Amino acid sequence: MSDFRVFIGGSAGSITPITTILSSLPDDYNLIITLVIHSSGGTKTSMNEAIASNCALTVIEVSDKEIAKANTIYVAPGGYHLYVENKHSYSLSLDKKEHYSRPAIDLLFTSAAEVFGKYCIAILLSGASEDGTEGLLNIKHHGGLTIVQSPESSQVDIMPQSAIDNGAATKVLTPLEISRLLLEYHNRT
Amino acid sequence: MVITLAKETPILDEQDITEALRTENIEIDLLITAIKEKLGYDLSGYARASIKRRIKQLVIDENVKSISELIPKLLYSAQCQANFINRLTVNISELFRHPTSFLSLRESVLPYLESFPRRDIWIAGCATGEEAYSMAILLEEAGLLKNTQIHATDINTDVLKQAKTGVLTKALNKEDATRYQASGGTSSLSNYFSTAYNKHKLSQHLLDHISFSHHNILQDKVFCSAQLVMCRNVMIYFDLNTQNNALTLFHNSLVQNGYLVIGEKESLLNSPLINLLKTIDEPAKIYQRKSSEHV
Repeated sequence: MSDFRVFIGGSAGSITPITTILSSLPDDYNLIITLVIHSSGGTKTSMNEAIASNCALTVIEVSDKEIAKANTIYVAPGGYHLYVENKHSYSLSLDKKEHYSRPAIDLLFTSAAEVFGKYCIAILLSGASEDGTEGLLNIKHHGGLTIVQSPESSQVDIMPQSAIDNGAATKVLTPLEISRLLLEYHNRT
Repeated sequence: MVITLAKETPILDEQDITEALRTENIEIDLLITAIKEKLGYDLSGYARASIKRRIKQLVIDENVKSISELIPKLLYSAQCQANFINRLTVNISELFRHPTSFLSLRESVLPYLESFPRRDIWIAGCATGEEAYSMAILLEEAGLLKNTQIHATDINTDVLKQAKTGVLTKALNKEDATRYQASGGTSSLSNYFSTAYNKHKLSQHLLDHISFSHHNILQDKVFCSAQLVMCRNVMIYFDLNTQNNALTLFHNSLVQNGYLVIGEKESLLNSPLINLLKTIDEPAKIYQRKSSEHV
């Protein structure tokens, strides 16, 4: 298993890029992937199913203190914030919403930065809020790689644009370019 | 590959980062020690990531520069001491949260409770009361409220004060009604509340069956002997070891064959307590204490 960890945050308009990215990964993809997607109500399960059906990796909705295993994609459950608790496990909370959202991308990214530091690869996709910018800045600050979906390729560009305007992006890429980069990390190890 | 270079922000080298994080962790440990010594609450078993977030929020709210600057505030300001713990705990609740669980309680657990002449139910971590109110409604509909006492406890004195009034913190809405129906409710939720000035208050005859008390799951003893213990979305704030201590307390509180209900996203998989409990309904998160001869 790779030392690197992938953290993805998406909101409005992010399902298409998420599908593009995840469907390109092989079933032995050796970086653990963690996902926060803002959901609007009760469609969460079907969204997870949509992700799972387009992807060779196992998709799991995180339970509290869940232990991260290889070849798996972990998704934040709707209504809960998701944190990286330590190098092995996650934790959940019902703390107040951030940027009108629970789960919030900032909380996952910030906790990941503090645990995995330069081994973080964070990806911020299409969305209509400013969630994710603070988290990306923390990841960048701790030496991790921050990737933002290019505003031109984003269905809703507010979230990526906010990250870029605040200097939180190391790379600005299209979903296809993000896939290629993630595969490079897989082939490295 | 198109790479747009973003504005440069200063990046500290790894040495500095590790040192900064190390310092911050020392500050958190010192604050936790100060809280324990000054207020008597031991937060050392709390899950680190979320307590850290709340402590940092306190740094912003108190307008100080660092976590360690909270320590003199805590030690010398009576005003700060009064609600310090309350501000570090989370109190989100709603009526009939996780309806799958309430439906299963209605169908699988209430018939068992019926076999007792008197019933005690412990709601540990009741927040603003919605869970206890939902339980009272469930029992009322099953005709079991009469000889039942619901013991609702929380660490947070502010929310207990609120919960005691029976007044909902938010007016009843469509989502509440939807969850009530998904819980197997066939009446109208508003039947159980009186309305005045756009506030909804639980009917007095239901509220009379709930007592609200201060209790700290991590430091206090078993609150009562109960046929049913419900503790949902509280243990997510604890580390694994502390979760086990809490589960042991609940197990000790249960009569033989009594039931334990935990939160939708909580799990017994990592706990040795799983051997002492029988799974009744995993998606509903309902478990039963095994009789001692089976242990």
